[in-house]
Amino acid sequence: MSVWNYVVTAHKPTNVTHSCVGNFTSPQELNLIVAKCTRIEISLLTQQGLQPMLDVPIYGRIATLELFRPHGETQDFLFISTERYKLCVLQWDAETSELITRAMGDVSDRIGRPTDNGQIGIIDPDCRLIGLHLYDGLFKVIPFDNRGQLKEAFNIRLEELQVLDIKFLYGCLKPTIVVLYQDNKDARHVKTYEVALKEKDFVEGPWSQNNLDNGADLLIPVPPPLCGVLIIGEETIVYCSANAFKAIPIKPSITKAYGRVDADGSRYLLGDHAGLLHLLVITHEKEKVTGLKIELLGETSIASTISYLDNAFVFIGSSYGDSQLIKLNLQPDAKGSFVEVLDTYVNLGPIVDFCVVDLERQGQGQVVTCSGAYKDGSLRIVRNGIGINEQASVELQGIKGMWSLRSSTDDPFDTFLVVSFISETRILAMNLEDVLEETEIDGFNSQVQTLFCHDVVYNQLVQVTSSSVRLVSSISRELWDEWSAPSGYSINVATANATQILLATGGGHLVYLEFGDGKLAEVKHAQLEYEISCLDINPIGENPNSSQLAAIGMWTDISVRIFSLPHLNLITKEQLGGEIIPRSISYLLCALGDGHLLNFQLNLSSGELTDRKKVSLGTQPITLRTFSSKNSTHVFAASDRPTVIYSSNKKLLYSNVNLKEVSHMCPFNSAAFPDSLAIAKEGELTIGTIDDIQKLHIRTIPLGEHARRICHQEQSRTFAICSLKTQSSADESEMHLIRLMDDQTFDFISTYPLDTFEYGCSILSCSFSDDTNVYYCVGTAYVLPEENEPTKGRILVFVVEDGKLQLIAEKETKGAVYSLNAFNGKLLAAINQKIQLYKWMLREDGTRELQSECGHHGHILALYVQTRGDFIVVGDLMKSISLLIYKHEEGAIEERARDYNANWMSAVEILDDDIYLGAENNFNLFTVRKNSEGTTDEERGRLEVVGEYHLGEFVNRFRHGSLVMRSPDSDYIFLEKLQSSLRKVIKGVGGLSHEQWRSFNNEKRTAEAKNFLDGDLIESFLDLSRGKMEEISKAVNVSVEELSKRVEELTRLH
Amino acid sequence: MWKEIGDREMGKIRPNSFSSWIKSNRISNLQLSNNKDIVSPHRGSINSLQVDLTEGRYLLSGASDASAAVYDVQRATNYEGNGLIAKHKCLFSVDKQHGKGHKYAISSAIWYPVDTGLFVTGSYDHYIKVWDTNTTQVVMNFKMPGKVYRTAMSPLATSHMLIAAGTEDVQVRLCDIASGAFAHTLSGHRDGVMTVEWSTSSEWVLITGGCDGAIRFWDIRRAGCFLVLDQSQSQLGRRPPVLARSAANKVSVSKSLSAGQNSLGKPRAPQKKYANGHGMKQLTIGRMPAKSSARQRLHPGMLSIQDRATAHYGAVTGLKVTDDGMYLLSAGSDSRIKLWDLESGYNTLVNFEMVRLQTSKAIQLAISQETAQVFVPCMTVVKAFDIWSGKMSLAFRGHYESVNCCWFSSQDQELYTGGNDRQILVWSPCEPMTDDTDTAHTKDQDNWSD
Repeated sequence: MSVWNYVVTAHKPTNVTHSCVGNFTSPQELNLIVAKCTRIEISLLTQQGLQPMLDVPIYGRIATLELFRPHGETQDFLFISTERYKLCVLQWDAETSELITRAMGDVSDRIGRPTDNGQIGIIDPDCRLIGLHLYDGLFKVIPFDNRGQLKEAFNIRLEELQVLDIKFLYGCLKPTIVVLYQDNKDARHVKTYEVALKEKDFVEGPWSQNNLDNGADLLIPVPPPLCGVLIIGEETIVYCSANAFKAIPIKPSITKAYGRVDADGSRYLLGDHAGLLHLLVITHEKEKVTGLKIELLGETSIASTISYLDNAFVFIGSSYGDSQLIKLNLQPDAKGSFVEVLDTYVNLGPIVDFCVVDLERQGQGQVVTCSGAYKDGSLRIVRNGIGINEQASVELQGIKGMWSLRSSTDDPFDTFLVVSFISETRILAMNLEDVLEETEIDGFNSQVQTLFCHDVVYNQLVQVTSSSVRLVSSISRELWDEWSAPSGYSINVATANATQILLATGGGHLVYLEFGDGKLAEVKHAQLEYEISCLDINPIGENPNSSQLAAIGMWTDISVRIFSLPHLNLITKEQLGGEIIPRSISYLLCALGDGHLLNFQLNLSSGELTDRKKVSLGTQPITLRTFSSKNSTHVFAASDRPTVIYSSNKKLLYSNVNLKEVSHMCPFNSAAFPDSLAIAKEGELTIGTIDDIQKLHIRTIPLGEHARRICHQEQSRTFAICSLKTQSSADESEMHLIRLMDDQTFDFISTYPLDTFEYGCSILSCSFSDDTNVYYCVGTAYVLPEENEPTKGRILVFVVEDGKLQLIAEKETKGAVYSLNAFNGKLLAAINQKIQLYKWMLREDGTRELQSECGHHGHILALYVQTRGDFIVVGDLMKSISLLIYKHEEGAIEERARDYNANWMSAVEILDDDIYLGAENNFNLFTVRKNSEGTTDEERGRLEVVGEYHLGEFVNRFRHGSLVMRSPDSDYIFLEKLQSSLRKVIKGVGGLSHEQWRSFNNEKRTAEAKNFLDGDLIESFLDLSRGKMEEISKAVNVSVEELSKRVEELTRLH
Repeated sequence: MWKEIGDREMGKIRPNSFSSWIKSNRISNLQLSNNKDIVSPHRGSINSLQVDLTEGRYLLSGASDASAAVYDVQRATNYEGNGLIAKHKCLFSVDKQHGKGHKYAISSAIWYPVDTGLFVTGSYDHYIKVWDTNTTQVVMNFKMPGKVYRTAMSPLATSHMLIAAGTEDVQVRLCDIASGAFAHTLSGHRDGVMTVEWSTSSEWVLITGGCDGAIRFWDIRRAGCFLVLDQSQSQLGRRPPVLARSAANKVSVSKSLSAGQNSLGKPRAPQKKYANGHGMKQLTIGRMPAKSSARQRLHPGMLSIQDRATAHYGAVTGLKVTDDGMYLLSAGSDSRIKLWDLESGYNTLVNFEMVRLQTSKAIQLAISQETAQVFVPCMTVVKAFDIWSGKMSLAFRGHYESVNCCWFSSQDQELYTGGNDRQILVWSPCEPMTDDTDTAHTKDQDNWSD
């Protein structure tokens, strides 16, 4: 087993942490810039809503995000700082639509302790300096020079130790900050300081205000003409300036985010912890503030950031629920809310637990997550590939082809479905009752196999059989014209669009016909040297009804050729190489008989083929079919692993379809089944709709409560969750529940309420030795307000009977049950400092009970436990990973080895017998290896660290599983070489270094990443230009085509 | 606890706030450990304790019987009391029996900061010895001009391997492990030097406390000392108007110190240079050492009145720099504890509650940065004071005779103390004896801890 790990993002971060609005991409355009943990997304505000422009990764966790406009500039610059003390200033390059780095640097200091409340990064409204509060007791100043360039930074001592917020004041002659801080006695005050740039120090500012609301946590600077600052507390809001002080009481709430509505700063949107949106108005007479007013507007997701866009449109960024685009109406709706949600943006975070299940039993995993928090809590079902939602199906054996036809050219819907068999053709149609029944089209020859069908202009249909081409009226359904193949030849393959038809007969004859009103006219005939294997004249370009180009695949020399229409002149010939015959062609896709697919860039005007790429889709011959969904065209590749091919971001993407084997497919857009596909598979014809074309599919099950733990039980086909319901925002009382859910409908079918103060901490579905039942075991803790650490908990054992949770046994514990595992037919619990093993005993009266067998202590807190065989891997609160072993004979658990590093764990998992994976408090991953062959006790007793990597995300849970069906083995040494070449070629946004970003980093040390590969970087190879690909190909000594193929295979892992 | 774990899971509290919250909780519950014993092999008072800086695993002790010993604090050698009390016996000890060992009391025993392959002992027999941990052999000897009171190595150093030594002599000597010779002698103190401490923000800055009551700062790349702390120089009237301030003589001093601090960032300087192929503007952040201030710093430039300043009345017996490199705590034979602001060199005038400190010996202080506490041996008791308020928060009573040294392990939130009673005591966060085995022992065990 390899020590290497390949880490790749299956779904980009969705938790919106920061947002800002400004003229970034052009002086006239208004942009919304959103930070999602380690990515930024830039979108343009248009009449239609938000239009995405750029989505880029940042090599760092974004700590602050600000737009500012230096003197003399017409558009804004973007200032970003990361949690690892890097900062950069970015500018938009309109020509290339890329970000240019204006400045970058490192602002870490050796002195100072990182702030507890997170980093603060602010820019003086007059653009004289950037202020950073990164370490307790220090305020770092980066001045701007006259041309808007950053000068050398310096630190100023800040006496206030517990700083809650710092903002720049507007309208001051010298840059002035206002500091909200807490003193030794927990009282909160604000203070102002002028920054004296020359002296590199503070000067006491114009005013200060002592003894504010004890919950004051947020400062909002007010722009001119009013100036001053708003101090948002939990019970009051205060306006404060040198010569005014106004306060209003508010309903107790914790304000999480604000957004300024007007440029003059008289109105603000405030979002609180319960997701309520308020409007705060500063009433004023000219420049004199007369008071404050606050009004409830309505409810949104719990906001982490609010950006007022324009014309009452507001973006609500959320960490706990879906982000939203809302409109503020002037009049309230029926429920009294002024908020109208226009759009939502899915957010999976925070994922506190998840499980991998195979609900459809197809061997492909789905992830069910506990997402969101508080009222926005939900379950999300994340699934790879595209699902077909079956709507109707008929048993039909031996389908050889399928086409849908309309009853007239103008009809928006398809009426007929032509199904071809080896020696007959049957026609299905929707009748008036919307039932599919067999019908006939008189003009069609139904005694033979159909090679091709299509709608034709002038209300006509065409059927191609091996002997003739039949043109039929779609209204009278009579035969209008027929073109017969020359005697001695039969038609082998044919293709058509609304005005043209191209067919090939034996002997390499290529015939091009055009359709007229009731007429078929042979336009051109050509003789090729070999037999023709496949054809395509799907229209591309401006005219939707006819094509200028034809693609033709050949037997014998195995080439694909592009001909011009109508003259049938050869434009390009491309040898495909290899033994396999091209079977099906779309314009730039060429499917081979062995399941490979070649794709080319086709130059529309010249017909040239460039950028050849080859991917493997399956092992069976592929047939390609285009279809459209949501106004874009996609290609369906039917084979043993059906795939939808679509283009996004100028590159082709492949998405699995969640069906086992598909032989043929055609779009069938009927009135009863709009936007559907007809799919022929294993003796069945299915009509169904297709999901949105994207890689991962997310289904949301809103719960309205916060699910903390989840587990699936296959036998009862249920999920059980530990959840927390907040009763009402007023008294903040919480109820803790164990819920049973159906795994298909996701309905609550049974609920077991826990005691007051009792929290569900862990949940497990397991069975015990000598008992055939399957149980749900739940570990709990009594969290009493006066106790730091729970001293009491319970293990509850439930069985699902008639869809109800039945409590079978319960066992009191002396602490919180942080983790439960099934272990050798017994139950292994982690309770505070201890690992405890319980037997499942049959009492004399026939009831069952948990009886403790043995335990192991010596942990600070055993939070995370995984088992494999007799081995137990424990992730401790602060003492990294230890390995325990259960000794059957002695009935004892002993420590075998330990990692002596002081990692504060957040998750552990066993990768294989010897290698264990851990995630820790500083967003790092690491692997340790058991050293059973060590020569000394010391060596054997030490888990050796073999891999380290900075993930940049906080990991709550690891689970084995896959979103796809198979995973090929990878050559890690090669990939590492590729990764280091990519590091040189792909420059990080803002000049940030990938190598530094991925280096393991905690309070004590920083070390280069080892034995982990960044799949996101490796897979970005496919986005590179040809020139850069060649550069890398040279560096690693592998051809571009081979590289693309290998990387594309990796992308299919997720 | 479960609530905080939940809040960390959903990102409501930052992981670093979570860990400091837990650490401070645990530290406020420190008490004599009921499950961890260090078995001291020493037959003399314990003068020095240090846990290695790399793994936080090996405790090194030095004692008056000329012996030094190493213990594994993470892994017990055996268990007693039904497996509940972990005994940590020493892995090895060196004493007078060792052919090349010290003759008289070991006053200071420290680890080589980079790995646990070497450790350094200083003794009243005038020698400093460097030991190979694996072979327990002396690999280097430095003969000092008098009794060695204290030795120190910089925890940050990447470009030097210097042992700073405070001895009976007025000069502070820097012993270079790389060459086996004295690299520098630092002259300035007017009496023996009880305590030496390296800066935690610059690998070049050394702080020494003498029996003359002075605390001196040295930038070892330059001649002479660049700052002498003055107890009468306090931060009265902070943030004075700009003009008045610039006239103050101290400014040049404070600048040179901060320049020194910044230059320590230099080992990392290569990282700050990025290939800026796009021709973008390189932003240099962090001050470069200013040439002009370097000249001002030269020893003769310092006024003699400053040079005679004192930090304590009597000897300075203990020094400890906070981990963030911003403050210095000092203890003196005047039984005072003082907190100094390192950037300005001001006495912060934090009023530490009255204590009685040992006067004849150097004492070893410890700091817990998370909770802003300093641990001070006050005769037989170790007291913890809040750094900002000077209030005593905890008192650790357990030693029968005076305590000489303490070491705080931030990694385990454990305090180790050693005293004249020859004991090394472990103070750890109290853990409720959770034992829910259904056995008859439970009762007896419950009685044991209190």
